[in-house]
Order: sequence, then structure tokens, then C-alpha cells
Amino acid sequence: MSLNFKKFIIAVLGAAFLASLLFVQWMELEHKKAESGAADAKVAIPANSEQCVECHSSTTAGIVDHWMGSTHAEKGVGCAECHAAEKGDADSFTHFGATIATVVTPLDCKQCHPLEFEEFTASHHAKGGNILHSLDNLLAETVEGHREPFNPHGVIPGRPDILEVNGLASAYTGCQQCHGSKLALLDKDGGKITVDELKPDADGKPTNTAAMDRIKKNPDGKPLFHPSTWPNTGIGRLNLDGSRGSCTACHSRHDFSPRRARQPENCGKCHLGPDHPQKEIYEESKHGIAYRDLKDELNLDAAKWVLGEDYSAAPTCATCHMSGNVNNGGRITHDPGERISWTNRPPVSLAMDTDENHKVIKETDPAKRRALIKDSAMDKRDRMRTACQVCHTPDYLDAFYKQYDDFVVLYNEKFAKPGKDIMGALKSRGLISKGNFDEEIEWTWFYLWHHEGRRARHGASMMAPDYAHWHGMYEVAERFYMELIPQAQEICHHAPEAKKADAEAVLALIEEILARPEHVWKSEFGKAQ
Amino acid sequence: MTDTHVPEEETRPEQPGRRSFLSSASTFLMFGGLAAGYGACAGVAGRFLYPAKPREKAWQFVVQIKKMKVGEALTYQIPGGEGVTVARQGSGETEADFIALSSTCPHLGCQVKWEARNNRFFCPCHNGVFDPSGKGVSGPPGDAEQSLPAYPLKAVNGLLFIEVPMDNFQVDAGSTLKSQTRRT
Amino acid sequence: MTSLAGWFRERFPFDGDQLRELTNEPVPNHLKRWWFCLGGTPAYLFVVQIITGVLLAFYYKPAPSTAYESVRYITEEAAFGWYIRGLHKWAATLMIAAVVLHQLRVFFTGAYRKPREINWMIGFLLLVCTLMAGFTGYSLVYEQLSYWGATVGANITDGVPLVGGFMKQLLLGGEVYNQNTLSRFFILHGAVLPVAMVMLIIVHLTIIRIQGVTELKFKEQEDEKEGHFNFFPDHLLTEIGIGLVLMIILSVLATVIPASMGAKADPLVTPEVIKPEWFFYVAFRWLKLFTGTVAILSMGFIMFMMFLWPFIDAWIRRRKPGSEASVWIGILGVLVIICLTVWEAAVAH
Repeated sequence: MSLNFKKFIIAVLGAAFLASLLFVQWMELEHKKAESGAADAKVAIPANSEQCVECHSSTTAGIVDHWMGSTHAEKGVGCAECHAAEKGDADSFTHFGATIATVVTPLDCKQCHPLEFEEFTASHHAKGGNILHSLDNLLAETVEGHREPFNPHGVIPGRPDILEVNGLASAYTGCQQCHGSKLALLDKDGGKITVDELKPDADGKPTNTAAMDRIKKNPDGKPLFHPSTWPNTGIGRLNLDGSRGSCTACHSRHDFSPRRARQPENCGKCHLGPDHPQKEIYEESKHGIAYRDLKDELNLDAAKWVLGEDYSAAPTCATCHMSGNVNNGGRITHDPGERISWTNRPPVSLAMDTDENHKVIKETDPAKRRALIKDSAMDKRDRMRTACQVCHTPDYLDAFYKQYDDFVVLYNEKFAKPGKDIMGALKSRGLISKGNFDEEIEWTWFYLWHHEGRRARHGASMMAPDYAHWHGMYEVAERFYMELIPQAQEICHHAPEAKKADAEAVLALIEEILARPEHVWKSEFGKAQ
Repeated sequence: MTDTHVPEEETRPEQPGRRSFLSSASTFLMFGGLAAGYGACAGVAGRFLYPAKPREKAWQFVVQIKKMKVGEALTYQIPGGEGVTVARQGSGETEADFIALSSTCPHLGCQVKWEARNNRFFCPCHNGVFDPSGKGVSGPPGDAEQSLPAYPLKAVNGLLFIEVPMDNFQVDAGSTLKSQTRRT
Repeated sequence: MTSLAGWFRERFPFDGDQLRELTNEPVPNHLKRWWFCLGGTPAYLFVVQIITGVLLAFYYKPAPSTAYESVRYITEEAAFGWYIRGLHKWAATLMIAAVVLHQLRVFFTGAYRKPREINWMIGFLLLVCTLMAGFTGYSLVYEQLSYWGATVGANITDGVPLVGGFMKQLLLGGEVYNQNTLSRFFILHGAVLPVAMVMLIIVHLTIIRIQGVTELKFKEQEDEKEGHFNFFPDHLLTEIGIGLVLMIILSVLATVIPASMGAKADPLVTPEVIKPEWFFYVAFRWLKLFTGTVAILSMGFIMFMMFLWPFIDAWIRRRKPGSEASVWIGILGVLVIICLTVWEAAVAH
């Protein structure tokens, strides 16, 4: 092999080496490309939160880790921005030199998210705490529990320290974890100091200094919360600063992930079960089926998450009730009621015409009603339709809403209104007591509208046939014919002498109802036999 | 030192008289090939040693606009780094109504102070003076026509954001637990 | 230039001619066959290891809390880090392979015989150093294999009678793997072993230069007149060519089979399947075949025999002139090594 030939070979090998390095360079670019997509955004700990993170990454590492993954962390919003408090705040305390508060309320979030605050505050969600002392709460506080603590009936083996039965336990852990508690600081006497005692001004600062002095504090000066009211992330929480609700109900702390709020499981914490199984109804519907299958295509991490732009594979609860879509200019609302045209919550469904206070109008006189309407049910339906129309044609929607309206009206007219009339007549004529749930028929009626009637209507509203029918109208009908009517008649038949006339009147009402064409089948079938 | 020797070395085959074009061409090609291959390799090594990424920047939240009055200033601390004076100069709600100036003097790196009564930034190290827009007016920065570096600002929905370098003390977003599971 | 060169030469009294004279050994013609250049290959790879190793050391942080993260940084974030690390890993693999092949070539050509016994021994020490560098090297990544490999390795030394415990303590810097262990491995890998190898290589080459390369004649060569050719430039060009081929192979390997990262070391969990690098498969299988001290002592004895092989071979040949025993023993040894390696590779436990 000549020297010159060797040199040529070396030159060729050198070039080949260069070529292999070009391949390496190409791989490097691929690496970096892959990484820039996969890598998490970098976060820097804001200077004013550095101290917090330092301690809390070992004391409560989960909180810090969650926060690190949040958009807040990415944008430089640290602990201080939300937890900072002022000396005058009811629940503020000094924590390693910083004045902070434990509970972050919508007023804190409002600092940066004013629009979301306004919408949320106007929503029915924010009023979830109003059930305290309502019919529902009567169940938990009285029927299931007791409004006053009472003594255990004997020593509890293994737990002799428990000397008292908290009769409100069911209300605290049942009702209030969804509806929201009335947040309370611990009074030195063991009682509660709530927003009612603190009387906060418009900025949320308490005006009742006497109540402030009664707050029980730990040795470090940290005010203590009444354990029955905190922890609580109920959506209608009544906060110490006078604000209502809790943003973490949906945007769980401490990553406040929009991704999670976009998923039906998030709503499913509360919207499920026998009385309003929206989550299960959704799961049965074509929408929920598509969601389960196509979840990976939903682009749940998108910044805006506009239906028809960022995704279209399937709708979640948020898609229709809250999120933006291409037809509405990507307008998000934090008031789900803005797109709901029937309220199926009460015994008899009402068209969602709302007044200036966002209250459902009950006025029946057409002229007066028109005057009161600030936002009509059809306005709301049109908003909902912007989302529907990303996938469905207007004709399709017209027909769907016709089916839905027909169903609600059928329930209202055939069962709800008659049932309500019968119950009203029994009560007003003194045939049953004024109190609730002490008579069987009151449970019957409650089952009929609160459980079965809602299941039927929600099933119809969200396309779940089994809920509309078998879990719904079928059970409503059975409850109506087989329990409500016989029980009402029974009460009338056994009415005391003094109430005979009232009983006759109610029986006449029942007879009138059963003679209506939609009910007449029952007596006709009986005759045929 | 050996320039006289190198060609001789490379072309010292048995018969020096046959030093031909072919020989010098092959030598040239050989050195070309070697330089290309190893040169590129050295380049890769150099790139490896050079800091991996250019200074990354990110928009960070500073303050709610309505919380600052016209004429007010605050010190924003870049995560793990220097202070930045953010001042509101106009009553509007856009970024043009604010200015964010580094508080590090361009002369020798001391921290300048905002002196409200004199309407100026003052550097105590060598009596440097800057006007409210950050322009050097007297002292060493004035002589050298240096200004305080300005940081970009952005107003979004009533919130003021600043664009700052993120290479100080930055950590991976998401939990360490998460990043470990991601890797495995 | 001339004056500068003159100034320099006054202070450094060697010129190119002298240097060339010093290094330009006559190269036997059989080295025109590339497979006789296996001695130059590990030398070239050693240089690659030094350069890539120094580069990696710029980013590597030898402490249990930082080691894995720094290797991850090199692999995932630093520009070309994956490539440099890949080069280092693959050059190590090829270097061990080349050293072994070089040794086999020397063995089967009988090149270790008088007067070259000492150079065989030095070469054997270089093999041991290379293997130790491989062992300490993969311990630095601080992945599961690193941690448990180091632990197992240290406990093997513990099995050596009398000095074992002392050696283990010296290696780990304590009774068990601890905060000091990683920096010890790092210094062994990055300073002690390379310096020892550089010195051994210098001696190795000097002896070759003084004694000359063993001359072999092949049948078809017999009629060739001249038995030698020049180191400069002829053989040097061959070595340069081999170097480039190696760089291309390394680049392709580093790209196609990149150096990966296993799970981070967890002192609480020993992985289900724990295996050393392939070049320790033989030893690993041997340790499983025999128990504790027996395995270690027998392994030590075999190593010692290999170290002293030139003298053993001479002893055999004195007793039985013309004996081919060394070749048969060599073939047997190679077969055993291959079998044990394949066995270890094929089974999980």
C-alpha cells in the first residue's frame, strides 16, 4: 500500500468522521427539540417567597411540589401573593416575620382575577352555603343528627376521651364539604366566631373588635379555626371577610390546575349520587363515552382550551357550562347558570328567567314577569347553543331542546304540580304537621321530586336515557301512584272528626287530578278488570 | 519552529526526487481530512463546555397595577438576583406608564438608590447620577453616557409583568417526585 | 522565526530529527497487517478517554446527592453531553475489548517470551488498571447498578483473607457505602488509575522501543527481502487511519446506542436483576460457581498465574522443548472465559 494511497484513505476517513459528527449534530438538534417540548417550564422562586419555600419544601413538601407545577409558579406568583394578610384581618398572624392568613378567599383571588370573581360571586355556586338551615340541612342537622351536642350512651371502648356526641357531624362532613361551611374562628369559650360576629366592611376587614379579642390563639399567636368549619373547600363557603365561596373547590390548591377543573371528575366531587347524579348521567351519555375514549385528544393543558380550536374530541362538564368555544369568541364564564335554561332543582322546574340579582323569577303575570327579566331563559339557552353548535346543526339542537322541554313539561304537569298541590293542601289544611320529615308522605314526596324527579330531568337534559326513564320517570310514576296518592288518601280517610271537611276537600282534589286525561288510565284499567 | 521540517517529514519517501504533484496533493488532502474531522470534534467539545443554554428569560408577575399610584416606585427582586426599581410614571394602565430599571450601576456594579426628593437615581460609590428615565447625567455614568439597563414590562388584565433572566436558582417546574417518575 | 527557533533550541536541545530518531523504530513487516495494530488501538482509545473524561469532569459532581443529577444534566441538558458521555462509555468498552485482543495476540504469538517477560507483566498490570477504571467508572453514574455494583465489589475485596477488611475500608472510606465513597471512586477513576496507566504505558512503550517488536514471518512473506519498514510516516499513517475508523465507530455507537441512565441509586432496594458490565461477567459467574473465599482465592491465583505466565511457559518449555502446551492452555482459557461470559449473559440470576 503506497504512502499516497494511505494519505487518501486518511483524507476519506477524516471526511467520514466529519460526516458522522454531522449526524451527531443532527441528533443533538433532535434531542433539544424533543426536550423543549417535553421539559417542564422553568420556575424561579419569587424573592418574597424564598423563605417560605425553604422551610415548606421539607415540612409540607407536597404543597411546594404542587405549587412548583402551577402556572402561578411559572409566572412568579408565590406564597406571599395569596397568603399575605394585614394585621387587622381576623385570621391573620405573624409567621416568621410575615403577616399571613391560612385561608385564601375569593377576595384574595380577586386581586388578579376580578372578572372571574364577579362571575363566580353572581353564580348559584357562590350561594351554595345558603342551604344552612334549609330543608336539606334539616335532614343532616336534625333528622340525621342533632343541633345540640348530646351525651354518648355509655363509655366508648378504647376512646374514653370522647365525652360528647357532636350532633352536627353529618352536616359538617356531608353537606358542608360541598355546599361550604360558615367558616368560624374558635372562640375562647369554645364557640364560633363567624362573619356574622366579625361584621367585615367592604374590604373584608372586621369591624367588631370585641369579637376579635375573643379569638382563641395558639402559643405562637396563630388564630385557631373551629374544627367543624375548617378544613373546608365547599363551593359556597361563607368566609370571614364576607366573601362567598372558595375557588379551590374546583381549582384545587396548590397547583390551581385548569386542567383538572376541565375534567368531569372535578365536578363529580359533588354532582353525583341519588339526588343529582349529573356525573353518572354524563358518563352514560354519548358525551361521556367519547370523553372516556378520547381523553388523550382533549388537549387539556391548552392555555385557552377553546372548543373547536384547541379540541373537539369530546365535551366535558366545563365545555358546555363554563368554557369558551369558537362560536362565542372563547368567552369563559365562572357562572355555570349563564347557560342553563331550566332550573331542575326545585320540585317544579322553572324557566331560568333571572332578575338583576341573578334570582330566578317566580312571577306568573306575563307583563310583570317581562318587566323583571334581566336575562331570559332563552338568552341562556342561546349561550349554551354556541357550544353545542361546534358539533351539532341548529335543526338538530332545535329538535333536541324540543325533546328536553317536552320532558320537563311532562314531569312538571303530570307529577310535580299535582304532587305539590296535594302536599300543599294537606299541609295548609292541617292534615299533616307543619314540620318536615315527621310523616311518611313527606319522605315520599321528597323522594319523588328531590331524588327521582331530578334524576329524570337531569337525565333528559344531558342525554342519559336510563336516568331519564328507569332511574327517573318510572320511579316518579311509581312513587306518585303507589305511594303518594294512597298515602294522601289514607291521611284523609283517617282524619279526625274536626278535619273531615278538609279531608273531603283534599280527596276531591285528588279525584280531580286522577280524572285528568293523563291520569285517567289508572281508573279505566281498574274498571276493565 | 519546525516549519522547515514538516513538509520534509511528510514527503520523505524513499526517493525524494519523485516529489510529485500527487504526493503534495495527497498530503494536502490528508491534512484537510484530519483537520475537518478532529476540528469538528474539537468544536463539539468546545460547545459542550460552553454554558448549556443562553440566558433564559421569563415574564414574572410584579404587582397589580391599581396598587401603585403615579410617582410611586417599588423594588422588585429578580428571583435569586438583583433588585429592579419599578416606578409608575403615568396614570394609564399600560406598560408605557411604568418603567423598570436595574438598580445595578453600569459603572462598577454598585446598587443605585431612588431619591424621590431629587427626582433622580443616585449611586453612592462614585456619585453617579441618573435621571428618572435611567439616563446617566453626571458622575462616571454621565461622562461615559451610560444608562441604567431597563427591563421589559407588560400589562395584562391590570397586572404588571416583568421579563427577567431565569437562570438564577431556577428549578424544574413540577415536583421532584413527578420528574423522577417521568424519567423512569 | 529562525531566531525564535534558535532561542528555543538553546533551551530545549532537541530538534525534530533527534525526536524522530528516538521514536522512529523500525517496524517489522508483519505489522502491515492491521490486526497486529491492536496495541496502538487501546493507546488511542486511552487518549480518547482522557479527553472525554476531562470534559465530563467539568460537569460531574461526585457526591451522592448530586452525582445522578449531574450525569442527568450532562446526558439531557448540556450541549452534546449525551455524545461526549456516549464516546466515553463506548471507548471504555472498546478499550477493554482491544486490550484483551492485544493480550491474546501477544499470547498466541508467544511474544511474551524472553526477553519480553517484564513487558508482559506490565501489560497485564495495564489490563488490571483498565478493568478497575471500568469498575470505578460505572460506579460514578450513581444509578442502581453503580451503587450495588460498588457494594458487591467492595464486599468481594472483603472476602480476601487477612487484608480484605482493610482493603474494603480503604475502598469505601468506611464500613459501608457512605458519603465518602463516591469521591474515592472519582479520584481513583479520574486521577490515580489514569496516572498509573500513563506511567505504565510509558514503560511499556520504552521497553518495546528498546527491545523492538517481536518479528514474525509468514509463509507468503518469506521471499520478501526487507523485514522492516519505517515508523515515520508509514506506520504512523496506518495508526492515524485506525484512529479515524475508531472515532467513526465510536460516534455511530454513541448515537445509535446512547449511554442511558438507569433508576437512581436506592440504598434501600436492591434491584431484582443486578449485573455488572459485560467485562465482569466472567468474574461474576465465577463468584456464583464457588463460595466466598474459595472463589476469591482461586480467582486471585489464576490472575497471579497469568501475571507470571512468561516464566511458567519458560519452565514448561525447559522441561519439554518444542511443547505446544501454552497454545492449548490459552485456547482452553479463552473457551472458559467465553463460556462463563455467555452463561452469565444468558441467565437472569
